[in-house]
Amino acid sequence: MPKIALCFFLFLGYFSFAQQSDFNHIDFSKADNNAKTIKSKRLFELNKLTFELTKNLETDIEKLRAIYIWICNNVANDFGLYSLNERKRKRFAEDSLKLQNWNSTFKKKLFKKLLKKKRTICTGYAYLLKEMCATVGIESKMVNGFGRTSTVDFTKLVMPNHTWNVVKINNKWYLCDPTWSTGISFPDEGRFQFIYNDGYFLTDPKLFFLNHFPIEEKYSLLAEKTPSFMEYTESPLLYGDAYLVLEKHISPKKMNHILKKGDTFSFQYQLKNEKDANQVKFVIDSGLNEQTVQPKTDLKEQILTLNYTFKTTGFFDMHLYIENKLISSYTFNVTQ
Amino acid sequence: MKTIIIKKSTSILFGLFLSLFLCSTTSKAQEIQISGIVKGQTFEQTEILNGANIFLKGTKTGTSSNKKGEFTFPQKLNIGDVLEISYLGYLKKRITIKENSSFLNITLKEDDNQMLGALNNNKRYKTKRQKE
Repeated sequence: MPKIALCFFLFLGYFSFAQQSDFNHIDFSKADNNAKTIKSKRLFELNKLTFELTKNLETDIEKLRAIYIWICNNVANDFGLYSLNERKRKRFAEDSLKLQNWNSTFKKKLFKKLLKKKRTICTGYAYLLKEMCATVGIESKMVNGFGRTSTVDFTKLVMPNHTWNVVKINNKWYLCDPTWSTGISFPDEGRFQFIYNDGYFLTDPKLFFLNHFPIEEKYSLLAEKTPSFMEYTESPLLYGDAYLVLEKHISPKKMNHILKKGDTFSFQYQLKNEKDANQVKFVIDSGLNEQTVQPKTDLKEQILTLNYTFKTTGFFDMHLYIENKLISSYTFNVTQ
Repeated sequence: MKTIIIKKSTSILFGLFLSLFLCSTTSKAQEIQISGIVKGQTFEQTEILNGANIFLKGTKTGTSSNKKGEFTFPQKLNIGDVLEISYLGYLKKRITIKENSSFLNITLKEDDNQMLGALNNNKRYKTKRQKE
């Protein structure tokens, strides 16, 4: 009987949508302050650092918060390591033995650099978070899968390209992506910049899924409602700032649309905060020129509904901005 | 009546004496100072690990290995205590302390996980169009 009960609870853990708002009653200022004031030039004494970060914190969620914020403020994305790995993985994609060999060599390089220089790539972040959590008794797992950004081309992407974490707090699993919380890269310039994004910390699983397809389905935390890989690649493209502004992306469910001239199309979002509904605009790119339009806007109880009527034919990239933040992209093929 | 009381008190005294004796002997005989070296074994080679975490299971007592992979555990341990040794990218290892455990030669095995990294960016999506 207890075994059955345990299974049931585990099951329940995957089922109930776990997100940051579960902890609205917790004040993170103590945890955030620890993360900001404690410095460590190197990571050779990881357990000492972890205890220092969590020493005056009572709850698991605060401990997790301190560790997470510390990682995001201190560990940089290493652009050189990233491109080196990309190149080699592509070259050895057909040769599993060589790939394994490369992975092994690269791993050593990666973790040495992480401990010595505090620079790494996704899997390094995920390992670090897992290890530091384990030190203070918080269970977490690494999740490998397909991360989606504007530069990912699913017709060419054959192998998983990203790693993130699930963390267990109060018997419930939560999603987070320390790599993407840390900052933004500028691929053309080969540069990385620290800009903390709180939107990837304990994100609503439905929203998180739009940019994260796990290889193991259970880690979507959406249980049997997990969409297929095909559905994933066809969903709207969300940017980092969407995670700061949106609670849910309600509709449309797809990125690409075919319409007739004169059709009105409807978009719907649930906002984190009603105040964010100012300055809503679409930028429409026809390939030749770009124009900014104001959709018909309706806001009721944090649900933002936008309507736009397409008056000309053509193929358009359509980008949603809220308060000058780039939120999401869609395409419309408008015919006669 | 008297004899019974005497018997009781002596047995209590005897018991106390016995327990004291047992306690002192167990703690003295089994405390061991532990030191050791941590290495990592990968696909192609085995090498020293600098910065491996060594913990007494279930406690906050622990240390890290130095440049040479060496460590000395900060407190004496008892037989039966369990040490947990971990390093990023390697599988965690548990070692139960035995009488002959004063020097531990620890080799961690590589964790079978692919190293991946997708970078996030703010670059706006642009449909690739054929030139007209």
